[in-house]
Amino acid sequence: METLNFLLHGFSVALMPEHLMFAAIGALLGTLIGALPGLGPANGVAILIPLAFSLGLSPAASMILLTSVYAGAMYGGRISSILLNIPGDEPAMMTTLDGYPMAMQGKAAEALAISAIASFIGSLLATIGLIILAPILARFALHFGPAEYFALFSLAFATLGGVTGKNQVKTVVAAALGLMISTVGVDISTGNQRYTYNILELYEGVDFIIAIVGLFAVSELLFFIERHISEGAGSATLNKLNLKLSDILHVLPTSLRGSVLGFVAGVLPGAGASLGSFLSYSLEKRIVGKSGHFGQGDPRGVAAPEAGNNAAANGALVPMLTLGVPGSGTTAVLLAMLISLNVQPGPMLFTQNAELVWGVIAALLVGNIMLLILNIPMVGLFVKLLSIPPKYLMPVVTLIAAVGIYSISNSALDLYFMVGFGLLGYLLRKLEVPLVPVILGMLLGPEMERSLRHALTISDGDWSILFSSGLSIGIWVVAFAGLALPYILGPILRRRMENARARMEIEEEAD
Amino acid sequence: MIGDRILGILMLLLAVVYGWEASLFPEPFGGVEAVGPETFPLLLAVILGFSSVYLIVKPDPDQEWPGMKTLLDLGFVLVLLLIFAALLAPLGFVISTTLMVAVLCWRMGAKPIPAGLTGLGSAVSIYLLFNFLLELHLPAGILKLT
Repeated sequence: METLNFLLHGFSVALMPEHLMFAAIGALLGTLIGALPGLGPANGVAILIPLAFSLGLSPAASMILLTSVYAGAMYGGRISSILLNIPGDEPAMMTTLDGYPMAMQGKAAEALAISAIASFIGSLLATIGLIILAPILARFALHFGPAEYFALFSLAFATLGGVTGKNQVKTVVAAALGLMISTVGVDISTGNQRYTYNILELYEGVDFIIAIVGLFAVSELLFFIERHISEGAGSATLNKLNLKLSDILHVLPTSLRGSVLGFVAGVLPGAGASLGSFLSYSLEKRIVGKSGHFGQGDPRGVAAPEAGNNAAANGALVPMLTLGVPGSGTTAVLLAMLISLNVQPGPMLFTQNAELVWGVIAALLVGNIMLLILNIPMVGLFVKLLSIPPKYLMPVVTLIAAVGIYSISNSALDLYFMVGFGLLGYLLRKLEVPLVPVILGMLLGPEMERSLRHALTISDGDWSILFSSGLSIGIWVVAFAGLALPYILGPILRRRMENARARMEIEEEAD
Repeated sequence: MIGDRILGILMLLLAVVYGWEASLFPEPFGGVEAVGPETFPLLLAVILGFSSVYLIVKPDPDQEWPGMKTLLDLGFVLVLLLIFAALLAPLGFVISTTLMVAVLCWRMGAKPIPAGLTGLGSAVSIYLLFNFLLELHLPAGILKLT
């Protein structure tokens, strides 16, 4: 009942004309970002943060804008999967399996419409899940002491590689790098200078927004240049939509199952949207596989992964909002926005910033309806965007990233830093060191250090306090499992995902 | 193999220097406590140290690195972005952006005229959008009328 009241209040925030406008802009931009090649959701949200920041938007408006972009990117990713067999982003990979065959059979419009509806159902159910689960988790998290928090932050890093992570040691290296960068500057509790070398600009530490934009956007540009990708992926034509109610009803059970599975995958640390869509697809194939023709253009094969990845994307907001611990790259970037708005994430967010949190949640529901409306009639426009060649697109994207950074403080120094981080990002990616732990380290570093200090001060320097309560031991166990499991499960899951794709390609060649 | 080993050695050096510097932090005002400004950095140095030794001992196979020509291309782009940053205030947004975007499009394989038009078009539209619609002032530079 209390939740319902908060939600109604949230709607009064989300339905303000200004916020409706930001939700609409965000939904449109997000779909664009998801659809355009080479602009993943994390990258897209990162580029928009400095703009939201220098425009002086209120916390609610900024978060509504960015979460709409986030939701929109999940819708957009499917377009090139279906039409061109190129996943717009990683979670959309499974959609190619049945989406592209449908397009080959001249049912591209139906595939797009079904995937939009499945995405809508996935997001809707997951947002409802978020509404129910988040306050409970937040209340539970109030019992966390500093030792539990320290363990929880470690858990976040340990599971960031995901169960499909390749080399966990590289995740640890990346996390340590990010945490080290976060220690640069004047120490908050003692006033000591750390690693500043008397350079005035370093006293306040390294701005993580600049780092995020450099690591993501500039390194992406470098990758495009390295691979000499300059021409567009080619144009695609759309047939006239011919969708009956029975077609929607046909994929409804699939979408519902996919949503539930995706949501669970999104909430759990280390799973994420890619695994959400993979699990949904596999489950669906197992349940109804015999009666369908999966892999050859079964509409349910489009609905399942799309419901799954959209639900997972919303599910991933649960740990980010309630614990302040994001489980994916894009939610890490959203957390960066919250921190730079001086909003302290964590369980207190639901009590101290109830208006903001519930406004954002209500905006997710509103934005989702907007996205459905946007994505069925306007899909033709997004399809046209697919043929923009990267040789024009990437320079303009880089420009927008640079302008955003410049507009924060009008300093060329920030741009030099951005370019530097771009080079660092490129080198790390070439060495297969993941970038998200670096960013998460920069974001969580100060808070993690504070909880460690707090815990050790209570125990007067006795490190065993970190493992003293049942709760913290439990969290550590999950964290170590998160580090170790990929060595066991990772190769199996990766092989299965690759097999699924390889089989597709063999069948295609056989046709 | 080589890539990971170099990374491992660099990270090991970083861990040692970072940890060593942390141990030299001056004693905080108000006396030594159980935890000081050096505790967390020392912990990080130990973690990074062990992981980098692992990388040196058990490196992954290398990804393919681009050839000399592509590396020069990448270096050119980085320098271009740095020059753009340096010229932004003195030359003004429109001129420096037109140049930056046009050269970048051209390096990515566009023909000079469409590249120039993309540069000019994006520079002017973003300038107008920022200065008039969003009211964020970008430097006018030498195009300033007054």
